[in-house]
Amino acid sequence: MKIVVIGGSGLIGTKVVAKLRARGHQVIAASPNTGINTITGEGLAEALTNTSVVIDLANSPSWEDKAVMEFFQTAGRNLLAAEINAGVKHHVALSIVGVLLMQDSGYMRAKKAQEDLIMQSGVPYTIIRSTQFMEFIKGIADQAAEGNVVHISDVQFQPIAAEDVATFVAEAALEPPIDGIKEIAGPGRFTMPEVVTRYLQSTNDPRKVVPNSHAQYYGAQITTTSLVPAGQARLGAINLETWLAGQLQHA
Amino acid sequence: MKRAEHPEIEVPVLSKAVLEQERKMLLDLGNDITSVRDKNDLLALFSKRIKSLFYFTHTIVTLIDYKDETYTPFLLDDENSPIRAHTLYQQLIKARFSLNEPFIQAVLHTADPISFILEDIMDKPLSPLFLRVNHEEGVQEILMTRLMKEGKPMGFIHIYTDRPGSFTKEFRSVIKGIAPQLSGAVSNILKNEEILNKEKEKSFLLDFSSDIAKVRTKVELAAAVHSSLSKLTDLKAYAIRRINEDGATLSPYIFDPGPIPPDKKEQDRLVNTNFPINDGLQNRVLESNIPLLFNVDREIQRGITSSYLQFWKRMEYKTLAGIRLRNAETNLGILWLAIEEINIQLLQGICSQISIAMANIIANEQVSKKQEEQAFLLDFSHDITQVRTRTELQDAIIRVIDKTMHTKLAMIRVIDEDGFHLSPFMFDRTLFKNAEATFDKMSVNRITIEEPYTSRVLASKEGLVFNVAEEIRDGNAYARLWETTGLKNMYSLPLRAGDKNIGTIWLLANRLSKLMMKGICSQISIAIANIQANEKLLAYKKQLEIENDYLKEQIHTIYNFSEIIGHGVAMQEVYRLVSVVAGTNSTVLVLGETGTGKELIARAIHNTSSRKDKLMVKVNCAALPASLIESELFGHERGAFTGAIDRRIGKFELADHSTLFLDEIGELPLEAQAKLLRVIQEREVERLGGKQTIKVDVRLIAATNRNLEDAVKAGRFREDLFYRLNVFPIQLPSLRERPEDIEPLANFFVARYSRITGRKIKNISPKVLQQLGSYTWPGNVREMEHLIERSVLLTPGDTLQEVYIPRGTTAEKQNPAQLANRSLEEVERSYIIETLQRCAGKISGAGGAAEILQIPGNTLHSKMKKLGIGKADYFLTK
Ligand SMILES: NC(=O)c1ccc[n+]([C@@H]2O[C@H](COP(=O)([O-])OP(=O)(O)OC[C@H]3O[C@@H](n4cnc5c(N)ncnc54)[C@H](OP(=O)(O)O)[C@@H]3O)[C@@H](O)[C@H]2O)c1
Repeated sequence: MKIVVIGGSGLIGTKVVAKLRARGHQVIAASPNTGINTITGEGLAEALTNTSVVIDLANSPSWEDKAVMEFFQTAGRNLLAAEINAGVKHHVALSIVGVLLMQDSGYMRAKKAQEDLIMQSGVPYTIIRSTQFMEFIKGIADQAAEGNVVHISDVQFQPIAAEDVATFVAEAALEPPIDGIKEIAGPGRFTMPEVVTRYLQSTNDPRKVVPNSHAQYYGAQITTTSLVPAGQARLGAINLETWLAGQLQHA
Repeated sequence: MKRAEHPEIEVPVLSKAVLEQERKMLLDLGNDITSVRDKNDLLALFSKRIKSLFYFTHTIVTLIDYKDETYTPFLLDDENSPIRAHTLYQQLIKARFSLNEPFIQAVLHTADPISFILEDIMDKPLSPLFLRVNHEEGVQEILMTRLMKEGKPMGFIHIYTDRPGSFTKEFRSVIKGIAPQLSGAVSNILKNEEILNKEKEKSFLLDFSSDIAKVRTKVELAAAVHSSLSKLTDLKAYAIRRINEDGATLSPYIFDPGPIPPDKKEQDRLVNTNFPINDGLQNRVLESNIPLLFNVDREIQRGITSSYLQFWKRMEYKTLAGIRLRNAETNLGILWLAIEEINIQLLQGICSQISIAMANIIANEQVSKKQEEQAFLLDFSHDITQVRTRTELQDAIIRVIDKTMHTKLAMIRVIDEDGFHLSPFMFDRTLFKNAEATFDKMSVNRITIEEPYTSRVLASKEGLVFNVAEEIRDGNAYARLWETTGLKNMYSLPLRAGDKNIGTIWLLANRLSKLMMKGICSQISIAIANIQANEKLLAYKKQLEIENDYLKEQIHTIYNFSEIIGHGVAMQEVYRLVSVVAGTNSTVLVLGETGTGKELIARAIHNTSSRKDKLMVKVNCAALPASLIESELFGHERGAFTGAIDRRIGKFELADHSTLFLDEIGELPLEAQAKLLRVIQEREVERLGGKQTIKVDVRLIAATNRNLEDAVKAGRFREDLFYRLNVFPIQLPSLRERPEDIEPLANFFVARYSRITGRKIKNISPKVLQQLGSYTWPGNVREMEHLIERSVLLTPGDTLQEVYIPRGTTAEKQNPAQLANRSLEEVERSYIIETLQRCAGKISGAGGAAEILQIPGNTLHSKMKKLGIGKADYFLTK
């Protein structure tokens, strides 16, 4: 089966490409670097010929409200139009748990726009909403840091390892489209200050976490439970401690 | 993985010079290779130089594509390849071989050149096909070497040999040594190709843009597009479609169906088709900001039925790229290319150029259309300034709007003088030939400015557009009528002269430009205002003419009867009554035999009334046929009856604020009597065929020589009318009844006619006076006037010696026996002759025989002809 992974050079993309290739599928890892660009449309039509499944794991280079909306809308429109033309039978996309609950955030609005485009496109689809990647914890800490103090709201948090995400995505791509939304999350639920504190500890980061109850995430107003699945979700196999241990090995 | 292993072949010891030679060769090769720019030269150079030292059959270079983890041939040694003739060769040189198999993985993970015996590996699972194909053509062994770029494998150099053991240690070390230079050269070639392609694209776009910059018309654009697109290899056909003015369809604009000529008929049909935007294909292109590649079969399978798709299928176009043509934020059309691949940059470059050119052409077209419209309006205004009448205007309007605008004039309504009603001014009946009856019914209706549609139009600034279909849906009764024309919209505009609404115009068309509508309407408004002014002028002129006629008649009357002569008691009574009634507005009925001066009395009443400054209007009710009397009295509208070609003001209206003298009222037909009665009662008249009533203030004086009471009894005169008229009767005495006035009258007439004829008659002989006194005067004063006029003419001296009193005087006294045994015809004949004699041969007019006989002059003429009465009969027999 020919599968095109948009954003195939990204964090999740690389892993998904590898997993699918390992299962003997013809996989194209599409990214601007490999001459396939969903914003300009470059290489898109050719890459999609005879393709059965498209997995969209691209991310916007800029997270500024306007730019990110522009990215997901333009990329989504172009990609779906090309898929329709190429007769693609399954579109898999990675979205975020709680996306509808966090519309105060420009990034979440853009992800919702991406989801909406998919649902309206007529292309059979599977949308996977994931919680935050464990690989993303450092980023959360960095953006919330003021000198040596890291201000983290005490919202619930259930991060998932990229490896698990990739497994779920690859799995979904090989299953028939559900024309619906699937949620995935990490195996353990914490508060965000807990997780960040643990991460900083294990990486010997001297910064200190100061929890607050503002329920803020990347400057956007959310609720305590916005970031965790409300209903049923598939849970990843790698827990935070295992993942941290793996990180230390790599380091 | 089993590598090629060979028993060490004995190698001769190489002298220093030989070594030096080889070293130099390698150095040169290295230098030469890095300076190679053309991909074909590289392998040739490499093969030739290496072959001068070592043996091998051929070599190729493959490149890795990481996006799908494959490698594919890049440089081929066509000259030496033994597999060139193999059936799979063409397939092989385009194939992408997977990196995920043991053979190539082994190569990837080995830094040094690595060789394989083909036989050993070619049949291993996943081994690439080229190994087996080479083996089939006698190749035995392969030496694979990675080509690295920035520390990462970028491809391989494959070296093949048909002699096992060719790949000596030395050979390997040479290849290993040269590999980096080879990698560098391949990288250069790739970069060069990229640059070259970019250059090509750039120069293509540059050429195209300079071609297209000169484009002013569609024809020029077609030429520029053709000359550029024909440079694109692999392009089979192209078409530009333009979005039509309706915004809902696209039509072919510029196209080239490619080398296979399509069925001419089919092409003509396609060219003239409006393809709906939302056909599931075109809308996708227009909504996409990137070019889209369509697979014709897939779209047909999808169920898209657009006729052009079937055409493409028949033309054997497999895939088409569709790109929207867009200028700023406006979609202009679509460029379709029958092509297999999309070069985004190039296509977007082409499309933006085409879009700009198209936008310019469209703008140009609009400008020239505007200019045309302006020129047209100028012509129209020229035409229309010549117009003086409605027919001319109607012709002018229908001619121009139909011809140049495909527009039909449905109706112009003009606001009446009352400022409230609107009357049809002109309309094109032919327009509604399918619904004439309905149209006639609707158009005759006089509507008011409060009629809902009209009031909306009049209130609007620049008119309204009614979509016929929508109006029908909304239950507009007029719209059913509009629908019969097949035109889509009704454009309705207010006609204004300055700020004043003067009417409405209703035009049926599919489309109308605003500029044109405004222009035309202002012209038409002016023309209508002019025509109205003209019509008013004509009406005034006519009224003046009529008044003039009256004046003349009055002068005549005054001249004839400057005074009323008569001092007798009977006349004194008449004078008294006149003076009593004159100052009132009361209706007066003047009774008296013919010739007793009833009109004179009427004038006397008028001239002594407060209305004397205006002309008294006279109508002789006996003088007109029954059919015309009503229109004479009450007036009529244009078209009220056959022959009513103009509007006519009735005598009642003419006599407003004055006196209307109805002579011979007894002769008024019964129908007219009824109307007259109504006018008297209501004090307002209504023109024939009109809907409007006009208030009038008229003083009536009626006169008759008949006994109206008898006429009432006989049913010939309405009793109610009689009572209305008989308010103040004045009975004029006959001349017989006032013999004392005969002499003064005779003197008066003799004096008058002597003066007119230039005689010097001063006296009347006693004999004549005696004769006059004894005559019965059936024609009263008028008869006497005529008698004396004639007698004066026949009198030579200064005394009137003789009067020619008709013999009839004696006839009256004739023996009844003589009258017996005569036919009706004879009686009629002799009575007419007698009357004619009495009237001195005067047939019609005042005092003529017809008047006495109480028949119209024409009737008398024809009766005389029938009875054979000639001049000799009544002039000579006396
Ligand atoms: N971070 C989280 O916690 C989280 C949670 C839930 C879901 N997600 C979603 O998961 C997805 C993948 O995230 P990630 O962290 O794996 O992203 P990432 O590592 O930032 O990778 C982004 C990928 O997108 C590619 N890309 C960028 N612009 C492109 C374009 N114009 N056309 C084609 N490809 C383009 C990049 O290619 P180059 O390498 O060539 O630039 C790269 O391969 C995102 O959609 C994100 O919203 C993230």
